[in-house]
Amino acid sequence: MVAPRWRKVGRDLSTHRFRTALVAVSIAIGIFAVGVVMGGREILVREFDADYAQAVAAGATYYTGPFDDEVVRRAGDRAEVSRAQGRHETTLRYRWRGSDDPATLSIVAMRDYADIAVQKILPEGDLQWPIDRGEIVLEGSALQVGEYRVGDVLEVETADGTKVPLEVVGFAHDLNAVPAQFVGAETGYVAFETLSDLEEPEYYNSLLITFEQEDISREDASRLAADIRSDVLEARGVAVFGTSVPEPGSHFLGDIFKAVSLLLLALGVLSLALSGFLVVNTVSAIMAQQVRQIGIMKALGGRTGQLTRMYLVTVAAYGALAVVLGLPSAALAGRYFTEFAADILNFNVTSYVPPAWVTVLEVSVGLVVPLLAAIIPIRMGSRMSVVRALNSTGMSAPSFGHGLGDRLLGLVRGLPRPVALSIRNTFLRKGRLLLTLATLTLAAAVVMSVVSVQGSINRTIADLEEWWNYDAQVVLGQTADSAMVEREVVQVSGVTAVESWSGHPVAYTRADGSENQSMSLFGLPYDTTFVRPRLVAGRWLQAGDTDAVVINSDVVKDEPAIALGQRFALTVAGEERSWRVVGVIKGQLSGAVIYADRDSLGDLLGDQGVNRVLLRTELHMDDAQQAAMEAAEQALDEAGYQVVSTRTQSGLSQTISEQLGILVTFLVIMAVLLAAVGVIGLTGSMTLNVLESTREIGVMRAIGAQHRSIYQIFMSEGLVVGVMSWGLGAVLSYPMSWLLTGALADSTQIPLTYEFSWPGVAGTFVVIALVSAVASVLPASRASRVSVRDAIAYE
Amino acid sequence: MDDSVTKTPLLRLHDVVKVYDTGEVPFTALRGVDLEVETGEFVGIIGKSGSGKTTLINMITGIDHPTSGEVVIDGTPVHELNENQLARWRGRTIGVVFQFFQLLPTLTVLENVILPMDFCSMYAPKERVDRAMDLLEQVELADQANKLPAALSGGQQQRAAIARALANDPPILAADEPTGNLDSKTADAVFGLFERLVMQHKTIIMVTHDNDLAARVRRALHVADGEIAEERIHRPRHGA
Repeated sequence: MVAPRWRKVGRDLSTHRFRTALVAVSIAIGIFAVGVVMGGREILVREFDADYAQAVAAGATYYTGPFDDEVVRRAGDRAEVSRAQGRHETTLRYRWRGSDDPATLSIVAMRDYADIAVQKILPEGDLQWPIDRGEIVLEGSALQVGEYRVGDVLEVETADGTKVPLEVVGFAHDLNAVPAQFVGAETGYVAFETLSDLEEPEYYNSLLITFEQEDISREDASRLAADIRSDVLEARGVAVFGTSVPEPGSHFLGDIFKAVSLLLLALGVLSLALSGFLVVNTVSAIMAQQVRQIGIMKALGGRTGQLTRMYLVTVAAYGALAVVLGLPSAALAGRYFTEFAADILNFNVTSYVPPAWVTVLEVSVGLVVPLLAAIIPIRMGSRMSVVRALNSTGMSAPSFGHGLGDRLLGLVRGLPRPVALSIRNTFLRKGRLLLTLATLTLAAAVVMSVVSVQGSINRTIADLEEWWNYDAQVVLGQTADSAMVEREVVQVSGVTAVESWSGHPVAYTRADGSENQSMSLFGLPYDTTFVRPRLVAGRWLQAGDTDAVVINSDVVKDEPAIALGQRFALTVAGEERSWRVVGVIKGQLSGAVIYADRDSLGDLLGDQGVNRVLLRTELHMDDAQQAAMEAAEQALDEAGYQVVSTRTQSGLSQTISEQLGILVTFLVIMAVLLAAVGVIGLTGSMTLNVLESTREIGVMRAIGAQHRSIYQIFMSEGLVVGVMSWGLGAVLSYPMSWLLTGALADSTQIPLTYEFSWPGVAGTFVVIALVSAVASVLPASRASRVSVRDAIAYE
Repeated sequence: MDDSVTKTPLLRLHDVVKVYDTGEVPFTALRGVDLEVETGEFVGIIGKSGSGKTTLINMITGIDHPTSGEVVIDGTPVHELNENQLARWRGRTIGVVFQFFQLLPTLTVLENVILPMDFCSMYAPKERVDRAMDLLEQVELADQANKLPAALSGGQQQRAAIARALANDPPILAADEPTGNLDSKTADAVFGLFERLVMQHKTIIMVTHDNDLAARVRRALHVADGEIAEERIHRPRHGA
């Protein structure tokens, strides 16, 4: 026969099913949060790394004039180069399923898809290499933005306006392609023979290489890339228009990925701490309910060690139940979460199994954390003297009226009696109040911080919209006469103003010989009204500026040597020229950009041509922007200009907002989880307060208090705790959101403008009031149902 | 009862003082109480509410500690034991009966009776059920053994609590207002049970404010203001 004390443990668990479920769910939430967050993070990092290693990312990419296999071979023969790959890249417009709305397609052509040395492209599903002439394989991320199907025909428009049909024959995975949802352009792969159909020359125009040295620094990589450019490419007469040398071993979405990972880690630790608080509160509640029984058992000969073991087993049983609930639900949610993240970041996941240590951590959260959290309340309960246990109505001996704070509360006059009672009751059990406040405050602070981070993102986008004083932009495939293209576009219905700019890739050579080729130079009228620059230092361009440029803050960040008042050299169109920095403006999320007066720049380069047209519309609305842009594209198209890409500012705002929104989505998921932990914590705490106030409730009922009055007292108590948590949370959320926004800005390299969200604070007040009310309903209704007889019998 | 059999007292309290720190003014519940009880005595402790009678029985059961003085029971200096030692000692030496029965609600009557044996590792596990059933037979509750306490009447619960108090065959039974929550007929039955136990040489110390019951015990101690104000020896009505 099982010893009665262990039967008691079993019966306590099975008799109080609701309580057992509540405790198990509380702990399971902790397991769930840790499992999803840590497990998700580990799977994402592992799978991303595996996919990245398999993809063989380029150490350097050259965008060039035509070259052939001989150049590729020469590059590959270099001792510092491990692999080399040539390919043809171009950007064209296309229509799909009869849509009138053309979209941008980045086309890549390779000679042999089955033997790619750098930036591997992996077939998905039933796709088999090779691709035949007239066929196209879409990069898998296209499915994130459109319902493409095998057999669809894309009508691709060539430079002279001919429409070439390409049949979609399958999908492929290319980790190094920018996902369609990030740039609003799909990537497609075609056979080399298809290039002639597209009126593209059949030669390579980009060279991708990887370096022999695996742990090469970016500086060394840049230097090597420059050497190879001159020794291999330029020495053979291949014009190089641009070179890209990314941070070695770092994916271009790695920053966002790191940010997500960092957030997940921070929130995982927070979840762990909160579930710890919750467990302490819950176990304290259970011990409080058991104090009298502990007294009886001690009176019957039960020793502290025996009782401690009994309650530790009880807590372990809650933990085991929580593990049974939490582990599979975390695995399931973790799988959805990983799929969601992998889809967004466009990488393949081959296994959803988290590493063993995550499972160990989950089980520890379920079993060890509750046991650790329970040790103090269990020790307190089981060591309590028999007389105190038998005479007690709970673990904590209420003590009110001695402290200064209590006396001050006692001096508050003019409040309705039930409200005064609720406020004073709140401070009756200070230890529990502190624990509940800590849980709810942290949850409230996280919620408010998330709102502020979202506010900061909105603010950053608003700043950006303030900079753009235009509605749409059309980029041309070649330079054109400024006055002529402007005349074509200004005639378009709905367009109220037009301006044209010239854009040039540039290279900046650092003092150590390495190069930065990821900057752009724009020539725009010095008196432009199409942008509203926000000056950080110096001045904007003015009439008579010849070699003056204004740089944005991204240039300063990337190249600290380029500063206000300094002269620096830039290679533009193959020639090095000296420039003088006259002003620094805030960055616009478009990387490092240098601005010069269009006409002066044209004079210097000997080419007054422009390659982008900016337009303003009458209504500035999304639809109007889109319609005007499409009409402008058509007008330019009909006038013989090749349009390579278009974008509306509202579309761009939305894309940026969505990119950053990915991070906010993760934050919101965690905030909701933490809020749930807070609600459960408050419910537990209120239940305990009701239980320990049973005698007072009896007395109040005996002297005439009605159900409603008792109900109001306990509802008010919950609200008082909620409002206090909101106040403390609001104070805490300021530094928390500032740090969070800073961490996000650092990891994404997007200079976010911090903005504390006061509407968020106000909104959270409403949410917390509601949440507190919900958390207090059950305990308050239980309190109002206590009969005088039961209350008095509850000694 | 044969007084001549016992030479040394089973229970001895010497100059026991208990002061409660109730905040600003300390409250003295017992003021130097001296008491000796022999084996097989049936002692009633009587007094008004707040007189100190519950404090006195708590000193005997070790449920509470004296502020000063000595409590020696069956040769054990109870006042020197810590909580853990007290629990084990109490489980084997004293059976405690409470006014509100205090059966554990999630255990059956039988399991409640086995619980003290389990805590104190008394009797072989296989014997415990038989012994508990014997005890329940004695209190006429064998047919209720597998019910939960909530299914029993007040009198039945108190009889189950007495069976539980006897689980480890302690020489002493301490009962604090054991009939206080029972109607007079049930109270009489419970008292009769105590009388039968005394006949089996159990020593019973019972706190009560029921003067009729107090008149039926062998020895009645009247407690007032923390002192034993008066002691009466009654001639037993039922031949002991």
